Order: sequence, then C-alpha cells, then structure tokens
Amino acid sequence: MNQYLQHFLYPSTLFASKEPYVVKTILGSCVAICLWDPVTKIGGINHYMLPTWNGNDLASPKYGNIAFEKLLERMIALGCRRDKLQAKIFGGGDLIAADRSAMLIGERNIRVARILLEEKNISVVASSTGGRKGRKILFFTDTGEVRHKFIDKREN
Amino acid sequence: MTNINDRQLLKELKDRLQERTKFEKEVNVLTQELQDVTKRFKESEALKSHFISNISNEIVNPFTSILGLSKSILQVEKNDWKKVVSMVALIHSEAFNLDFQLRNIFVAAKIEAGEVVPNVAKVNVRNIVQTIIEAFNLVARKMGIEIEFNYEIEYGFGKNFYFKTDNEKLKLIMSNLLNNALKYSYKNSKVIITMTADEDTLNIAVQDFGTGISEKNQKVIFERFKRLDSGINSINRGHGLGLSITKALLDVMGGTIEIDSKKGEGSTFTVRIPEAKNVVEGFSGEGNDIFFDDEDEIF
Repeated sequence: MNQYLQHFLYPSTLFASKEPYVVKTILGSCVAICLWDPVTKIGGINHYMLPTWNGNDLASPKYGNIAFEKLLERMIALGCRRDKLQAKIFGGGDLIAADRSAMLIGERNIRVARILLEEKNISVVASSTGGRKGRKILFFTDTGEVRHKFIDKREN
Repeated sequence: MTNINDRQLLKELKDRLQERTKFEKEVNVLTQELQDVTKRFKESEALKSHFISNISNEIVNPFTSILGLSKSILQVEKNDWKKVVSMVALIHSEAFNLDFQLRNIFVAAKIEAGEVVPNVAKVNVRNIVQTIIEAFNLVARKMGIEIEFNYEIEYGFGKNFYFKTDNEKLKLIMSNLLNNALKYSYKNSKVIITMTADEDTLNIAVQDFGTGISEKNQKVIFERFKRLDSGINSINRGHGLGLSITKALLDVMGGTIEIDSKKGEGSTFTVRIPEAKNVVEGFSGEGNDIFFDDEDEIF
C-alpha cells in the first residue's frame, strides 16, 4: 500500500498519471469522471463544478465539457487509447435542494458526463450519482478502483 | 386494411399534423441552439486572434524598448550618469510591465489546464498590499497618481495581522486591480485602497476616480479577452485577461468581486476573501488513514 503517491484533487482541476497514485476528492454537486485504461494501467480524473462553459470565463476545467475534453486529451498524451478507456462517474448530489431546486446543478452535471461519454463511445462501468449527500472518493490510478463513501457534511 | 370513417380519418390526420408541428418546433429550437453555439464559437475565435495580436504587442514593445535603451546606455558618455539613470528607470518599468503581463498569461494557462490549487499559508496581508503598491509606485508617479492605502484592521497594539490565504494569488489579484485602477485613472488623481476584515473575511476595495464603467459594460468586463478601449493612459494596451484571471483566482479561494462604478466618476472594485481552512479535512499529507476504511464501497 505504501508505494502509492497521494494527490488531493481540488475542484476545477484534473489529474492523470502513469505512476500509481491514489487521488482523493470530495464531491457535493460537483461531478468527477474517472477514466482508466486497463491496458496501459493509466488513470485520470477530473472534478468539475458546472455543466458547460459559458464562453466568457477562462476555459477552465471548472466546466464539465472542458474538463472532460482536457482529461481525455491528457490521457491520450500519456499513451492511452480512446477505445480502451473505461469511465466511472461520481457526485452530482443535490445538497441544497430544499431552497433552490430549480437550479439542479448536480443533475445537469451528471447528464453532461453521460452525454459526453456516450459521444466518445466510452462505456460507463460504474457510477454513484445523485442523491442528497456529499461523497468522498479515492481513485487508484493503476487499478482503476474507486473507494467511495457518503458524507453528511456539506462540502464541495 | 381496416375501414375507418371520415371522422376518424380526420382525427388521425389532425393528430399526425400536430405531431409533425411538434417535431418541427423541436427542430427549430435545436437549430436555434446550434446557431447560438456557432455564433459564440466564432466570437470566441475572433477574440482569441485579437488576443494574440494584443499580446504580441504586449511582449514585443517592452522588449524593443529594453533592447534599445540598454544599447543606448552602452554608447552613452561614461560620466553622464543622469542619462543612464533615467534610461535604467525606463528599462525597469518596461521589464516590470513585461514580468507582470507574462505572469498573468502563465497563470491563465495554468487555470485553463486545471493546475491551479490553493496554497494556503498565514499571510501578512498588509505587507503584501504594501509590496504591490511599492511595485507600482514608479508607474503611478509617472502619471502623477497618488496611491492611498487605508489599513483599517485593528488587531492588538503593534501586532501584525495574519490571514490564512494564498499569498501568490492574492498578490496577482491585487496587482491586476491596481494596474486597472491606474490604467483607467486621469492624470494627477488618486487611487484609494481600503482594507478591512470581518470575522473571517478579508475585504479589499480599490477605488479610482477615472473613466468609470457604464452599467452595460460592467457585465462584460469579466469576460476573457474583452477590453474596454477607453483607457486614457495607455490606449489599446493590455490583453483583456486581468479581470477574468482575477475572477478565476477568487473562485479557487472562494472569494467574490463586486464593482461599483459610474461612467465618468470612477470605479470601485471590492474583493472579499474568506479565510482558508487550515488543511483540507481528512487529508493529511502522510499516513495511511485514508486507505483503510471499512465503510468504503468499492467500484
């Protein structure tokens, strides 16, 4: 277990590595897409806050469509093949639903992930999305394994 | 074949027509959306090429000055120190500007690559603002603008006030705000920086008495590459990234920015930054606590 390097994934950032890393992140209404290539054993993960880029702000991985494209780009740069990639989707909870149900940020974040993955023909092998709770996930970049736990506190 | 009477036929036709209209509507909506996206994309591309031409000015001009000036220094009479000093001052201000702009561009690239993370430490915020003011002092003096700093945090007697935040990001935010304030100020005026603190937020206001921003423009100034070509002191300078970077950095720090401005009377930009939490909860750099957790579900 000790050979794993650790990385904490902040919102609006992404991470991909050839080395075995364990990536931890905390998700509220944000969504994280984990991509893993079983052949090269390379894994990558993003953490986006909003579904699509509005065209005004910096084109950062704060937005789902950009976060996904950049992660894919980086994975391919590391030597992954797109047709081998597997995806896992987490997050998109509705933590503030009581007063602002119209926004449905979590819901929209999840939908964007599914649409984008379908577009690129990447199969979703596992997911845990929606609900009312936040999540803590650990992603092992070499095995593609994800450990997942609900948390009650409101975090993002 | 089933026989149907006229009435049924009519109803059936009506239904189908309705369905078709529905689909047509949907297609229209989708087409509209597609057109919107294309339009936005084109705008974005146009802005990008605009940006590249701006940015090359931004880099090439200072370099030309620096090269030219340093060459002149080499040729100057050995005892003409006055001339040398004034040229060195110019070189310094050009290099300063270059450094500032490059920093902005690199940070923007890093934000877009998803590599910007908060880097929290206890920071003497008063010091930071003073350092930034000093750095811009030469530029300000050249334009006859006085920078006033009101530090309104009472914190013990003779003690320094420390605030947990990201040092480098705060510096860049302050530099961008101050740079903008100077850029859009009239000659011989004033820029006022006021710093206050609530329980766990730091508020910094940067006020200028320059051109001001119309209400319509207040909405677009945060967009990347957008610049209002109304700067007095430096017509057509800048890359239009300053405020989008500021906003993105504040995003990382959990802060906000507000504008209060009236055309012709000047603007006040206020940033509010919450104090950062000490460490990210449950994540200690070392130790294997995060590996063994019986409640974990495995995917």
